[in-house]
Amino acid sequence: MAKKRRSPRISRSTKALRNMRVKRRIAKIFYPILLAILAAIWLIPILWLVVTAFSGYKGINISHFFPETWSFKNFGIILFQPDSVVQYMTWFKNTLIIATFTCIISTMFVIMVSYAFSCMRFRGRKGLMTLSLILNMFPGVLSMIAVYFILKSLGLTNSHLGMIIVYSASSGLGYLIVKGYMDTIPISLRESARIEGANEFVTMTKVIIPICKPIIVYQIIFSFLIPWGDFVLAKLMLNSGLSKDWTVAIGLYNMLDKSLINKYFSIFCAGGLIISVPISILFVMMQKFYIEGVSGGANKA
Amino acid sequence: MAGLEKTKKEKNFWEAVQEYFVELGKALAGGNITTKLSTVFMGLGHIFNYQYVKGILVFAIQALFVAYLFVTGIPNLSKFDTLGTVKREAVFDPLTLQNTVNDYDNSFMILLSSVSTIFIIILFVLFWIANIKNIYKIQKKRSLNKHVNSIKEDIKDLVGKKFHLTLLSLPVLGVILMNIIPILILIAVAFTNYDQNHMPPNELFTWIGFRNFVKLFGGSVSSSFGYAFRKVLNWTFVWAFLATFTTFIGGILMAQLINSTVIKYKRFWRSLFVISIAVPQFVTLLLVRNFFADSGIVNSICASCGITKFLQDMGLVSRSITYIPFLTSPNWAKFMIVMINIWVGIPYQMLIATGVLMNIPKDQIEAAKIDRASPFQIFRNITLPYILFIQGPALISDFVRNINNFGVIYLLTQDVYVTTDQALANAHAKEVDLLVTWLFRLTQEYYDYKMASVIGIIVFIICSVFTIISFTRVMAGDREETYQ
Repeated sequence: MAKKRRSPRISRSTKALRNMRVKRRIAKIFYPILLAILAAIWLIPILWLVVTAFSGYKGINISHFFPETWSFKNFGIILFQPDSVVQYMTWFKNTLIIATFTCIISTMFVIMVSYAFSCMRFRGRKGLMTLSLILNMFPGVLSMIAVYFILKSLGLTNSHLGMIIVYSASSGLGYLIVKGYMDTIPISLRESARIEGANEFVTMTKVIIPICKPIIVYQIIFSFLIPWGDFVLAKLMLNSGLSKDWTVAIGLYNMLDKSLINKYFSIFCAGGLIISVPISILFVMMQKFYIEGVSGGANKA
Repeated sequence: MAGLEKTKKEKNFWEAVQEYFVELGKALAGGNITTKLSTVFMGLGHIFNYQYVKGILVFAIQALFVAYLFVTGIPNLSKFDTLGTVKREAVFDPLTLQNTVNDYDNSFMILLSSVSTIFIIILFVLFWIANIKNIYKIQKKRSLNKHVNSIKEDIKDLVGKKFHLTLLSLPVLGVILMNIIPILILIAVAFTNYDQNHMPPNELFTWIGFRNFVKLFGGSVSSSFGYAFRKVLNWTFVWAFLATFTTFIGGILMAQLINSTVIKYKRFWRSLFVISIAVPQFVTLLLVRNFFADSGIVNSICASCGITKFLQDMGLVSRSITYIPFLTSPNWAKFMIVMINIWVGIPYQMLIATGVLMNIPKDQIEAAKIDRASPFQIFRNITLPYILFIQGPALISDFVRNINNFGVIYLLTQDVYVTTDQALANAHAKEVDLLVTWLFRLTQEYYDYKMASVIGIIVFIICSVFTIISFTRVMAGDREETYQ
């Protein structure tokens, strides 16, 4: 496909060659320095998070970047000494429950929708796909007040069930990446399964899903991470003011309230650090699929 | 299967709708007496054709629907025009020592049930049409002595030929409940006076026509909403434009820098940047907000280095304050928000650009190199057009996402930024607000649902315009072959 158009006949004048070499040498010194400076800019806040989390005081230190005293005290408070403000383990448990169920439901929804759109042909398929693409482009933030009203009238605000519904009900719309992956599976596989007497359900569970494992892993991680990172919907839905109902995000946000920040800033950093570690690992795992999914999806469009 | 689809000409939407109703007409005209009777008693057609289980099921659905209509549907729909007239009143009963509450109307519940009832009626009509057509089909098959599916075969179809129905029903239900009905409710509330003074269950709210829209658009003296709306809308667009393009260009440049041949350990550098986005955004943003606080660490460092004084001499910082108001004065805050967003957004765009750059046609770049194009010329004439071609639609949806970029603005400015503009403060807006953060504050802190809904509708319209532009470009079709 890629034609080699390089021709040996073309010769470069030595002057131009020398010129290029000088430029290259400058780039060789200059680019890594530039990159190091950029990396430093990007890492300074993260570094601040880490060192503050390990500092020996509770509040915010405004005069020094690095703390004068170091300790693990903040982690101890977070993990073992809950008080009226810090109920980290409860929040963690809440978020974990919500994230687990959200993950199961949305992954199932996405696989179901992707299979229907990718592997089956039925009347209205194109129309439904168009509609879902349009609906998916509308941000959820917009209809959130109405969602809040509906859940409130059903008595589901301030509950795990309500949060799970909020995060997973419309997850079927996010099928594009998984469907794109399924589109690459040869039809012959499904046809041979049908000849063997498998119905669509068996074809889906025994043939297609095993092949799609990598992209399903992506989907699982992606939907698991939503409740950990979400702030808006949780803030709207969990408004009882009882800290035992909260997710990690809301709990940590509350610690930075004007009246609390001077006592709890380092604890906030410690809490942020604790959830950041597993989330970063999952995120880096997902990153590979993210690049492939996005660029692949763009090519197919 | 794919071949079959290609040979079948794609029907356009109106033809499909036309066909749908023509089929219905045929079924109604050509049906025998049982088919016609089942327009009223829906299971009859099945039962006369010996499909007892199916007939009973269909009949049960009809019965449920009628019961629903009489129990909640009609009572609520009948109050839809006023949204309720009976106010909640609690009377203290001295005998039981308890408050007894009268049979009051809850305007919001009336609105919600009415919208859902309308939805259910539409669904039922569709079901009714499908049922008639189905019975007509069975009748025709029977007259030709063809095989008619038994209930067992029908169930088998649900995991076979009609598996898509099984697969899609739950996700579609979820989307209807959490996307479509909320959008309809949002639209309805914009035409009511639902606010702090009209909060169900204690108070009623009712329809007031376009008054909320007039309040927002009309720059009447009595309301500062018109003024606030223009300011907020303006900043929303400026922000969305700046946020989209700075991160987009920055991401490409950073991806190019890391991909450059003189850089070793590419993976290492890339992961350094990924760390900053792997940490949840609310943690980093709240952190950065305190980093740049008025009495925060950056300010103390700037003060001790003399930067604060230098900026004061430049006239960028007022002399009456001893700190740099990074997030507390309008212009500084806007500048910092854009900069911090660059910090948040570039690693993402870098990842995407890396993926796109990997697929860039190498032969074109090599040809350009042989023709002695400078790196800048190559970037300008080959790389950038290619990326724009691939990323064009994504750029528009990024723009839409930035119009609604709630997180960055809210987390950076909530509780920190206080507006000094009295007119804005009257409308509960701030200079740095986007339409969505304004909407959120109106609902969360001031319970002004009617104005929030109007703003919601406007954001909705803006988003749909851009979405449709992006969508028609995505669907434009044969564009993809340009680079193949």
